[in-house]
Amino acid sequence: MITWLRRNLFRTWWDSIMTVVFGYVGLWVIWTVIEFVFVTGRWEIIQVNLKLLLVGRFPDELMWLVGASLTALAFWVAAVAGGSKIDLNNVQTIPHRLFDYTRRFGLIVALAALLIFLAADIAALLLAFQVLGGVVAGRLVGLARRNLSVLGAIPSIIWHPMLASPAIALVLVTLMESTLEEWGGFLINFYMAIISIVLCFPLGVLLALGRRSSFPIIRLVTTTYIELIRGAPLFVLLLLAGVALEFFIPPSIAPDAIFRGVTVFTLFTAAYLAEIVRGGLQSIPKGQTEAGKALGLSTTKITYLITMPQALRNVIPAQIGQFISLFKDTTLAGAALNILDVLNVGTAITKQQDFLGQGLIYEALAFVALLFWVGSYVMSRESQRLEKRLGVGVR
Amino acid sequence: MSSEVFKDATRMSGGRASDEAIVAMEGVYKRFKDFEALKNINFQVGKQEVVVVIGPSGSGKSTLIRCINRLEEHDDGRIIVDGTELTTDVRNIQEIRKETGMVFQSFNLFPHLTVLANIALAPRQVRGMPKSEAEALARELLERVKIPEQADKFPAQLSGGQQQRVAIARSLAMKPKVMLFDEPTSALDPEMINEVLDAIKQLAQEGMTMVVVTHEMGFAKEVADRVVFMADGEIVEVGTPSEIFDNPKEERTQKFLAQIL
Repeated sequence: MITWLRRNLFRTWWDSIMTVVFGYVGLWVIWTVIEFVFVTGRWEIIQVNLKLLLVGRFPDELMWLVGASLTALAFWVAAVAGGSKIDLNNVQTIPHRLFDYTRRFGLIVALAALLIFLAADIAALLLAFQVLGGVVAGRLVGLARRNLSVLGAIPSIIWHPMLASPAIALVLVTLMESTLEEWGGFLINFYMAIISIVLCFPLGVLLALGRRSSFPIIRLVTTTYIELIRGAPLFVLLLLAGVALEFFIPPSIAPDAIFRGVTVFTLFTAAYLAEIVRGGLQSIPKGQTEAGKALGLSTTKITYLITMPQALRNVIPAQIGQFISLFKDTTLAGAALNILDVLNVGTAITKQQDFLGQGLIYEALAFVALLFWVGSYVMSRESQRLEKRLGVGVR
Repeated sequence: MSSEVFKDATRMSGGRASDEAIVAMEGVYKRFKDFEALKNINFQVGKQEVVVVIGPSGSGKSTLIRCINRLEEHDDGRIIVDGTELTTDVRNIQEIRKETGMVFQSFNLFPHLTVLANIALAPRQVRGMPKSEAEALARELLERVKIPEQADKFPAQLSGGQQQRVAIARSLAMKPKVMLFDEPTSALDPEMINEVLDAIKQLAQEGMTMVVVTHEMGFAKEVADRVVFMADGEIVEVGTPSEIFDNPKEERTQKFLAQIL
């Protein structure tokens, strides 16, 4: 222990000074956070407004829709993950697996537990179990596809839309069944992010292909689009979507703010994704295309079966990074389009009669940050895992 | 290889069109900007014939066989493969690529697919073969190149020699009428060259029509029906292995052989 300290922290005078200074700063930060969380922080504001923060004024009689759509989403993700044909070769022991699961999902389970504790409501617990049920069911369906030849025979192009459609349908119904005045909270950020991610992915891939097309017109159009979108600040685009549509479409039939937000996020992220995917395609050696050609595969099949899968795998970290930043940028929609998203709710609740002028903005913002941090952390962890899983055949 | 085929093949040299020919090139030119890579190439490959193309680097050997399956587009002349002429028509190109297999110097296996999937891909996607049938075919071909136990591995987990044998099996899966080898052993460690050459020899013995670009002179002597010597984008000399190696007529051939042997 002493030798370890000497070797790693106090090897030279300079090291010793750094250790003392940074050690002090570090301890001070940790202490301040702990003090804030457990001593000085006044979390009643979160507890009282929990429902507002999470789902806004979502009508109680429609809450089942939220549960159903979340469950369908969980089912979809679990089924895709469970059905992946590629498996890491090492056999894992049960403690190893438990450790792995804790590392992957511990944080999200802890957050769920915290929320249930704060809500102190049996409905919240039931919702959690419902979502968990979705995960388990999805995993079983995924495994069944991998192991039963009847299910395995269904081509991916039918199977994946089949898995995704209940989730997408329920999310859309949830969005449509409620009006904007009732909507709000973190759920809006979450759903805007999910829908935009699902939509921008194919669009981004198409744009990337367009930019490499052999037709000059397609190349010109996609390049112009990508460069225009990437040249504009997201916030400005969101503001534009808020006001500019009225010039073209009468306000009575203009889509409401959430759809405008989703549209902007989709178009914006697709442009960035296109450049990421293009980079991935450029990293694939020419020999891959030549081998495909020599076998008699058509250009479309070479792209779809050979270059694109490899390109997408190569750029997973950058893709997920883009999705994470989209997820967090949904808070901008709140400011630009007057959507009652979690950030708007968070600042609004500090102006309530009971909490006004007590400086509770810290607590509100800390809670909002926590929600986003857990989401982003899980995405980033899973992306690393995905990369490892798909990297089995890496040269 | 029967001696009959041997004789038949040796009769065919440059220029004359023949019904027997699987590949025929007439007056083919290929230019890269100002550089003439191929000049007036007249060349034929008969059924079940093994043609080995030799020559110094930059002499156009690879360009020659890459023109046969349109990985390079020729600028002048005609190329006819199995009765179909290579034109800009995409359908013709696809048709010809189905009938020609190619093995590359750098293997070019698909790293994201297992060995089995690498081989089964083209029969399934191009010939529309059912998955089970394509995989059975793939296993049979792996047996033929003597690595059946590697079926479920990924290319990166194999040695260079094994990868190249998978690449051969992958080409054979399309049941091509002619196989093109573009320096198949040049990227291999010395101890792996023979396993690949053996696989190619075995193919030759089974009567596969082949064009092989190689620096392995021993292999050329042993397997070739005809040897083509190229230099500066031209075919300098064509003959049986003994004619080329023991009794070369052209000065450039003599010089080249003196350098390498």
